[in-house]
Amino acid sequence: MAQCVQSVHEFIQDSFVPMVAVLCSEDAEKVTRKNNLNFSELLRPFCRLTSEGHMRDPNNQVQVVKNLRISVNNVVTRPSVPASGTPSLAQRLLLSEVVSTCQPAEGGVANVITAGDYDLNISDRSLKASVPWYRDWRDTLTELSTSKHYTATTPWFEAYRETFLQSMPAADHEFLNHYLACLLVVSSSEAVPVEKFLKLSQEQHRIQHSGEYTNPKWFIPNTLKYYVLLHDMSQGDEHRADSVYEDMKQRYGAQGCYLLKVNSRTAAAGADEQIPDPWSQYLHKSKQVLCVDGSLVNSLDSTHPLQLDTSGDTPGSLDALRAVAVETKAGTAAAAAASHGACLTLNDHDRIRQFIQEFTFRGLLPHIEKNIRQLNDQLVSRKGLSRSLFSATKKWFGGGKVPEKSIAELKNTSGLLYPPEAPELQIRKMADLCFLVQHYELAYSCYHTAKKDFLSDQAMLYAAGALEMAAVSAFLQGGAPRPYPAHYMDTAIQTYRDVCKNMHLAERCALLSAEILKSQAKFSDAATLLIKMTSEDCDLRSALLLEQAAHCFINMRNPMVRKFAFHMILAGHRFSKAGQKRHALRCYCQAMQVYKGKGWSLAEDHINFTIGRQSFTLRQPENAVSAFRHILTNESQQASSQQADLDSVLLPLPYINSSATRVYFGHERRLAEGEKQAATHVSLDQEFDRDLAAMWRDLEEQVVASANRGVVPATFQATQCCLNSQTDNLRFPLAVVEEPIIVEVVFRNPLKVPLVLSDVSLLWKFTLKDFSRPQDAAVGDALAFSNEKETLTKQSDDIIATEVIPEFFLNPEETKVARLKLLPHQTGQLNILGLVYNLASTPSTGGVWQYTALVLFIGPSPADGTSVRGRQDLEIQGPRLNQTKEEKTSVSHGPDRRLDPTITPPMPLLEVFFLQFPTALLCGEIRKAYVEFCNVSGVPLCGLRVVSTHPDFFTFGSSSLATPLTPLSPTSFENCSAYKTLATPPGATPGSVAAVTLVSAGDFGLGEGGSGTSNGVAEIPLEDRVLKPGQSTQLPLWLRGPDHEGVHEINFLFYYESAVKGGKISHRVLRHTVFICASRSLCVRATACRSNTLPEEEAEEEDERRNGSMLVFVDVENINTNEAGVREFHIAQVSSSSKQWRLHRCINPAEDKDCKLNSRERGKLCFRATRCKPVQEKYIFADLSLGNEQIISSTTPCADFFFRRCPPSDSRRPPVAVETQGRLSRSQGAGPGGGAEDLTSLVRKCNEVDLDIIVLWKAFVVEDNKQVILEGQLHVALQTIGKEACSLTQKEEAQEMVLLKFKPELPPPMTRPSMEQLSHLIKTNLHYPESYRHPFIHKSLCLVPVTLTLSNCSLAQVDVIIDLRHKTTSPESLEVHGSFTWLGQTQYKLQLRAQEVMRVPLRACFLHAGVYNLGTPRVFAKLADQGAMCETSQQTATPALIIIINDT
Amino acid sequence: MAVCIAVIAKENYPLYIRSVPTQNELKFHYTVHTSLDVVEEKISAVGKAMADQRELYLGLLYPTEDYKVYGYVTNSKMFRKLHNSFTDVMCNPFYNPGDTIQSKAFDGMVSAMMVQAS
Repeated sequence: MAQCVQSVHEFIQDSFVPMVAVLCSEDAEKVTRKNNLNFSELLRPFCRLTSEGHMRDPNNQVQVVKNLRISVNNVVTRPSVPASGTPSLAQRLLLSEVVSTCQPAEGGVANVITAGDYDLNISDRSLKASVPWYRDWRDTLTELSTSKHYTATTPWFEAYRETFLQSMPAADHEFLNHYLACLLVVSSSEAVPVEKFLKLSQEQHRIQHSGEYTNPKWFIPNTLKYYVLLHDMSQGDEHRADSVYEDMKQRYGAQGCYLLKVNSRTAAAGADEQIPDPWSQYLHKSKQVLCVDGSLVNSLDSTHPLQLDTSGDTPGSLDALRAVAVETKAGTAAAAAASHGACLTLNDHDRIRQFIQEFTFRGLLPHIEKNIRQLNDQLVSRKGLSRSLFSATKKWFGGGKVPEKSIAELKNTSGLLYPPEAPELQIRKMADLCFLVQHYELAYSCYHTAKKDFLSDQAMLYAAGALEMAAVSAFLQGGAPRPYPAHYMDTAIQTYRDVCKNMHLAERCALLSAEILKSQAKFSDAATLLIKMTSEDCDLRSALLLEQAAHCFINMRNPMVRKFAFHMILAGHRFSKAGQKRHALRCYCQAMQVYKGKGWSLAEDHINFTIGRQSFTLRQPENAVSAFRHILTNESQQASSQQADLDSVLLPLPYINSSATRVYFGHERRLAEGEKQAATHVSLDQEFDRDLAAMWRDLEEQVVASANRGVVPATFQATQCCLNSQTDNLRFPLAVVEEPIIVEVVFRNPLKVPLVLSDVSLLWKFTLKDFSRPQDAAVGDALAFSNEKETLTKQSDDIIATEVIPEFFLNPEETKVARLKLLPHQTGQLNILGLVYNLASTPSTGGVWQYTALVLFIGPSPADGTSVRGRQDLEIQGPRLNQTKEEKTSVSHGPDRRLDPTITPPMPLLEVFFLQFPTALLCGEIRKAYVEFCNVSGVPLCGLRVVSTHPDFFTFGSSSLATPLTPLSPTSFENCSAYKTLATPPGATPGSVAAVTLVSAGDFGLGEGGSGTSNGVAEIPLEDRVLKPGQSTQLPLWLRGPDHEGVHEINFLFYYESAVKGGKISHRVLRHTVFICASRSLCVRATACRSNTLPEEEAEEEDERRNGSMLVFVDVENINTNEAGVREFHIAQVSSSSKQWRLHRCINPAEDKDCKLNSRERGKLCFRATRCKPVQEKYIFADLSLGNEQIISSTTPCADFFFRRCPPSDSRRPPVAVETQGRLSRSQGAGPGGGAEDLTSLVRKCNEVDLDIIVLWKAFVVEDNKQVILEGQLHVALQTIGKEACSLTQKEEAQEMVLLKFKPELPPPMTRPSMEQLSHLIKTNLHYPESYRHPFIHKSLCLVPVTLTLSNCSLAQVDVIIDLRHKTTSPESLEVHGSFTWLGQTQYKLQLRAQEVMRVPLRACFLHAGVYNLGTPRVFAKLADQGAMCETSQQTATPALIIIINDT
Repeated sequence: MAVCIAVIAKENYPLYIRSVPTQNELKFHYTVHTSLDVVEEKISAVGKAMADQRELYLGLLYPTEDYKVYGYVTNSKMFRKLHNSFTDVMCNPFYNPGDTIQSKAFDGMVSAMMVQAS
């Protein structure tokens, strides 16, 4: 607060000091000019007397004069200011300049005042305020009331006050600033100094008494003249000066003259001597004020913002000011440059000090003392008479007249003037004299008396002056004999203001009074007083006073923070009206501390708005932006007020959501070109999907692993073509030279008015690096470029071409993205810094609004079509770090390198197109499509691979076999089968011949086992394995519809490398996603049964005969639901593929050669399969064509898809079972049950088939009235004899819904081979004649030889027991006419080696003719080494009927 | 009649503020805010011990050029009505003490107390 540096007493004393005029001869002026000073300036630093002076009052009491200051001024005869009530323009300018130059120190010590809940930072401009939540405010208040006063300084106010008081014009009604004495200064170098003195003396007399000049005003008629002889030590003759001085002493008396010797320092000698410059602090201020003259005068001609009303100012004063300015211009300009007192030594300083002291104590004080006496005597002598006379006249004329007179005369009392020598004024004069010499007691009584006189005369101006001074002297009286009469002051102020219309005097009075009241801690009164003084006519004064009032409020015993804030706002408002923008801003900022964050949103917004605007005009964009942002983010604002804001707005408009910025590397791709369909790859239009990204990453890892012989390199990093906030942006992304970088920036228009951006482009910085050379060399010649400076755009375009978006329109409150492109032409490190744009007014609003952008400030814009160049930086904060404990406890963010791509040397760039690529397929349908690979870069490409989420969906064919089959162009493909076919030899029965081919799985790009391992990577068979620059190649691609119906998302990832190794990028990838809609076609179920027929004798090979054969039933159902589309299915061919089995022939009972299936029809086919000898892990393909052409299933694409098929779910199970069993055996140790594992597998092996059936079908589909033949293939994997396998496995997926179990599941009990399984160990067969003729008449017993063939199906030795004894109770024994008996050995114990076939000759004996069932032998078998196990009855053969015919 | 009615929380942020000449809302906000100093002064003057028996009517807080600012109650029982209505708002179980008042009933009551402008 206005805590002054001076104490109140000092302040008031210094406000009223004895005035001394100076008249200087020209030569003397020259002497002082050497020091860059005139005479009065020379004296100024020494004008305060350090020693005490003494004088006697009229009662001969000694009065001590302490700390007296005198004011020495040159005589200026021009009327400086018309003594009107209002300050002149010149004075206003002066004051305004003083205030504006005096600003709080930047970064000074923060002056924090704690008031209530508020911590107010007073002297600091920053907006710091504690969050003043409700504490115990009462406690705080009581604590505050006991604490000391708060301090805050307002130096601008003090400067204002000082300047104001100094520039007070001398008035007629008071004498305080009239000249008491005059110094006549003559140089000793003058030819005849005495004459010169005489001249000056005459001139002074002329000025005072001739009546030519109203200015300056003189205190007393016989002004003290003090003769000063100025001697220049460096020039003049000292003796001569001494002698002249002696002469002077003779003439004027020793007390009336002085010899002042100065300039004793020679220029050469004093160069190194350090002399303090006491003038600077005194002259600086006044000089500064005058130094502004140039601008001041100039600005007077134009319209100055402060020039509110020039009416009150006479042209004369303007001229005067200009004259002063011009006159002082030359001097001050030089003075400002050079230091003061250059020719003065410290000794000279002492001399001057001595001189002042001498003059004051010997000259001035006695003079004053003498005059006081004289005046006192006059008054005393006149008192009796005049007083009584006055009172007599008053009584005489008085009475009822007084009141009516007062009203009439009050109006023009300011015009009532006493003549200068009027007796009424003498007492005032005496009072003033007493006041000046600090005799306040006497002064008070005089003022008091004068006041009464003036009041009785209704001379209001005079009375007010007397009242004012009476109050002041009462206050200044030591020992406080009487309380400070505040009401005197109030009356004085009121009188000055209302009656005399003299704001100037009223203001002075108020300033004094407020200071006194404050010193007495009457802050409330002081504030009221100050607030009263604010008026419309002077904004600067009002602002300063309001600010002081605000400080008063906060200094009260109970600080009134809110009043402080309110008045600060008022002050700020007035400051801003007065053109004091910095002060205005400061006021608002201080008030803001109180309003901030308390819910007073309307007020807060208003303050924020003002702060923003002031900051803007003061070129503090950061403050402005934060203030405006606060307003604009406030949702409560209405469009209208925002528009008002926009009148002068400056903001980072529009907002940019930096973190949502996306960066895309690569060209924007065409999706389709004619019938070609381009790979979808990645584009900015796709939303980021975390799961998808993970999927692509997995795929890429797979393909990279396959390219690096199964190992993923440690440096592997998934390719990211499009970076956004969710991707991993820790590393610098890699971009390729000559490939565009597209940055997508998200703009948001927060306003309710539309915005248009034009010429939007990116800003970047680029450091050249040559990656082809070793890394060390590149560091040295790193060259940096940037397009930040607009002039360099042309040049920088050669390095990186920057795309400019000509126009970008943002609707109100719209969020919109802009894509900006860069095309690097050089390798190196790029940093995208931000973007620049022109922010323009929208055409719709007619260019009314002018938007100003954040960083760039422009001058006045053209009247229409306004646009502003704006720049915003893209600063992206990385993700929050949360790894270590330190990072968890603090908030730290990782880097985000999205916008810092490294530009690497050229890489190959692949484009992939698909031709005739279907969108819908039947399940299992085979379709041929074409892929075109295009190398669009200048670098050869190699290592082309593809990986897919559905490796069973497509094939490029096997490299060894496919080539000769490829039709040259897709057009020659029309209605051609995708399969390789052979016409069936004419005449051959369909289905009777099985063509057999042996194929190794390795030919189809698959490892051993061919069960379609997880690795879905396929190398693409390119010619020469390299794609040269610009080259393109077309390859056939076979597709097979997924086995399950529905929409399938199939992802391809094409991988390729540069043929030139060693680049920064090891490989590149291209993504493609297709959606295939699969619809149901056929459902194939197959079962295999053991054939009970004995191998025929004529069987070609021993092996086959021994191993027997199998029956395969294939059940095909048309499950297609699209009845309109698919007319019928034909089963064209059934092929088998296995290592051990092959289809032998079709044993379809029906003669239907081509199996047709209409909708919902079901067909059954039966085949015989035979076992064949495995040949080096090769697969045996057997084709059984049912039509007239044979499809060679062992070639592309049929075999490809067979090998790529999903492994049947059954085959996945065994490893799991083995594992659990392994665990079991481990837990049980090598106990007796340890053999169970063996046993089980042995037994299972016995039933295992491992035969895959491929059903090739044709579908006749009507499409657009055209019949189209579609082909397809379905696979069924037969695993076990007797178990049905199905081409559809979808039902098993339902099993995934398994209840969660929290207890570990009990291990399944020891799986003993089931009885059923064990009953298949031995296959039995009876050989006998179908019918037997026997003449029972001749021979009653009929003996028939029967051969029992036992064949061991298992791979182990089996003990077999054959029991021929009849089991009469056996229910299954056929009740036939009679019974028969087996002859001979009835029980056999045999041992069969693995797969051994044994024939046991038996004899049956019949007694009667009839039909008998021979199938009675019971066969028990057990594995040979399983001693503990009992024999299991083997499956009985089908009834073996024999007909015995009585041959008569 | 009143031109501006404000309910201020004890932490001195506005719970409810409404004024009739809406074009000069800002001025009223400033006025109300400034008057809080006087309220605070008056309350603290009573002292802690007397807090319970404190007279709720604070009377004229201070006059501005155009208006007079009163604390709590006038002889027209205007403020008692306001207090009752405010109590009702506080009794609303869905009202979270300290929130800005958004109650139709309170709004209506305040409107009734306001100068019926235009």
